[in-house]
Amino acid sequence: MLSFQEIGFRYTGAEEPALVDVSFAVEPGAYVVLLGANGSGKSTLARLANALLLPDTGHVEVDGLRADERATLRTVRGLVGVVAQDPDNQIISATVLDDAAFGPENLGLPRDEITRRCAEALATVGLLGFEERDPNTLSGGEKQRLVIAGVLAMDPSYLVLDEPTSMLDSEGRAEVLAAINALRARGHGILHITHDLDYAHDADKLLVLQAGRLVFEGAPDTLLQDEEKLIAYALQVGSGDVTPRQSPCQPRPLAPPDPSLPSLLLRDVAYTYSAGASFAHDALKGADLTVAAGSYTLISGHTGSGKSTLLRIAAGLLVPTSGTTGFSDGSAVTPGTVGIVFQHPEVQLFAQTVGEDILFGPRNLKMDTTGIVDSVLAAVGLEPRRFAQRSPFTLSGGEMRRVAIASILAMRSRFLLLDEPTAGLDAQGRAFVHRLIDELVRQGTGVVVVSHDLSEFVSRAHVHLLLQKGRLYVAGGGAGAGSTAKAGGSAVSATGHLHVAGGA
Amino acid sequence: MALAVPFGQYVPGTSAVHRLDARFKLLIVTSFVFALFMVDGWTGLLLCAVLLLGAYLLARIPLKLALRGFKPILVILIFTFLANTLTLSAGGDAGALTSDLAATGLVAPNFGALPDSIALIGSFGIKPLGALRGLYFVLRILLLISITSLLTFTSSVVALSDALTALMRPLAVLRVPTEDIATMFSIALRFIPLTAEEAEKIMVAQSARAAVFDKGGLIKRARAWVPVMIPLFVNLFRRADELAAAMETRCYTGRGRTHLKVYVLKVSDLVIGCCGALFFVAAGIFL
Ligand SMILES: Nc1ncnc2c1ncn2[C@@H]1O[C@H](COP(=O)(O)OP(=O)(O)OP(=O)(O)O)[C@@H](O)[C@H]1O
Ligand SMILES: [Mg+2]
Repeated sequence: MLSFQEIGFRYTGAEEPALVDVSFAVEPGAYVVLLGANGSGKSTLARLANALLLPDTGHVEVDGLRADERATLRTVRGLVGVVAQDPDNQIISATVLDDAAFGPENLGLPRDEITRRCAEALATVGLLGFEERDPNTLSGGEKQRLVIAGVLAMDPSYLVLDEPTSMLDSEGRAEVLAAINALRARGHGILHITHDLDYAHDADKLLVLQAGRLVFEGAPDTLLQDEEKLIAYALQVGSGDVTPRQSPCQPRPLAPPDPSLPSLLLRDVAYTYSAGASFAHDALKGADLTVAAGSYTLISGHTGSGKSTLLRIAAGLLVPTSGTTGFSDGSAVTPGTVGIVFQHPEVQLFAQTVGEDILFGPRNLKMDTTGIVDSVLAAVGLEPRRFAQRSPFTLSGGEMRRVAIASILAMRSRFLLLDEPTAGLDAQGRAFVHRLIDELVRQGTGVVVVSHDLSEFVSRAHVHLLLQKGRLYVAGGGAGAGSTAKAGGSAVSATGHLHVAGGA
Repeated sequence: MALAVPFGQYVPGTSAVHRLDARFKLLIVTSFVFALFMVDGWTGLLLCAVLLLGAYLLARIPLKLALRGFKPILVILIFTFLANTLTLSAGGDAGALTSDLAATGLVAPNFGALPDSIALIGSFGIKPLGALRGLYFVLRILLLISITSLLTFTSSVVALSDALTALMRPLAVLRVPTEDIATMFSIALRFIPLTAEEAEKIMVAQSARAAVFDKGGLIKRARAWVPVMIPLFVNLFRRADELAAAMETRCYTGRGRTHLKVYVLKVSDLVIGCCGALFFVAAGIFL
């Protein structure tokens, strides 16, 4: 049994404790799902599980062994494997096999035992045949499965998985979930940490952490059917908070746009990486895109379908190999005219204060900066007086995301491109992003969101396009959708290669 | 998809050069470099050049690839050559060059009566012997680059770091923390490309906020990199923290490790490696 007993923990220098009096246990072979909003203390708990952190009060016990005693530390770490969010920070070696072997090597096991364990671990996560690959060339899902294999090769009784899927696309998620199921089948006790309710349904036990306190422990059904409780635990937002979703998989209709406002046009845009070299790679092969003012376009597609390339070209950051970009009034795309919020935009924050960071773009553009900080901070729901003078590096993840978005809004672009804007955010963060986009669209900004999470965006967007192998298609709705979009004042068309997905 | 930043320049193949144990390749390359700097005169240098050319042909590496490696130092090469060739004191000081040559230990082949210098404009002129010496230096640099390129063309980065690790292992007796150094190698292999990719992403993100990196004077340009370097370092520290946790989770201490990889020693590799190394050491001493 992996048991947490009256755990209290406070980071040095933090005002609030990260965990307060948390007690629960994971039985051998059980599948336990731990839910909680951003900053509720989930990752802290994961690090306590195998003594990467030591609690201020209480203690962790693994099959009767105290985790905080030096003598048993190695045994405890062998018994409890911890997998964190970002696979890139957990892979140590230069080949897949070497990485799987890293743990057993550290345990000083004989060679044939290491070989056996690696083979078994790689088989469990479905990575047989990948042994000699360089981890840097793996997809996100493959990387995360390798991390799981690396921990599995230590032959643990318990695995603590801290949001193992939150950095992955839908394919990667499915792969990792399959790996988790394989772990369950092998009888490992699992503590799966997530803020995604979808994973909670088939748990043996559900736990909810809120502001460092364990507020729920019980069977999934009792909680999942209780909407009031879900809202109270910040796992879901009230339906009044967001535009109600319509029937799934149907974009909402778009009123004909104001013809006096220019549209953003991409015509027959192609892009080839390392053109001319033997390893040249066509990322885009002729994509047409029209974004009208006040329209909301969702572009989805698999990893490697060219989404990032398309966005960079649309924002004028990359010059297409062929084809043209520009506005319908003939002006060119320059930095600032099309704003772009990259995936995990918080990595771009650098200034000493939030206010300075927000003004970086406007100052580069020589804009009049009076009042900008206050208005964009208000737009992203952060009180200007409290946040403008703070260092961006002291903010929580969700707050950093808001500031990063605010720093783009500050340039007052007429078009805004967002790459996976809700990745890693909890229910409230997501609701905020949706409200913000709806408001921008209402004010006449042309918005393009790139995401693989269809269920989340498709009913909110006006048009849904699919990027497949470097070409754009109108998704869903059959051929009619394409022509409607065109008839509706060329709101968004994906002509050129109109090969309707699901249709022809 | 973010393309993985290419790291190293391995050209996969099955030639004898590719197959030779990377440890011995390292040994031969080291002795080759030793020879390059020790040989006094053209015989030894040309011998090295011919053998290296042979190795390139044997490895089936297009010479075009090797030539590409020269590009970044073209300026240095030209400068080296010109600095040796041109003189501002043509006509005067005849004995200087000969004694110069003697000082570097470089014996010029006998081309008969070469004038010490040929004046072109006033005292500005060229020194034929100096040109020869310049050529010698240039060739030596080219060979140095070509041999290291050949090593990286024919061995994967992993093989190289494994080889270094293996060669280092005996040093553990001297309490050199070889395990930690080896782990550092492999972490570097993983994180250099990652960091390069991240730097590129942050740079693009700041360009999207209208940052300009290639305009203005030196100070302005240096200042322009601040918004890239700060996030890059903040991220590196976060990564380092998470990486340390991941290593601790897997019980890394740097002591008491066993190894999955064993380095089988092929007799043929051993013979080739030792003969090759001895040959170049001898060449360096006697030629
Ligand atoms: N190294 C640290 N130093 C100081 N405070 C920290 C540190 N790490 C986390 N915290 C704080 O502790 C609290 C709990 O953080 P934790 O990372 O455990 O939350 P989480 O539930 O994992 O959030 P998320 O869903 O964003 O991953 C937060 O208030 C956070 O700001
Ligand atoms: Mg977390």
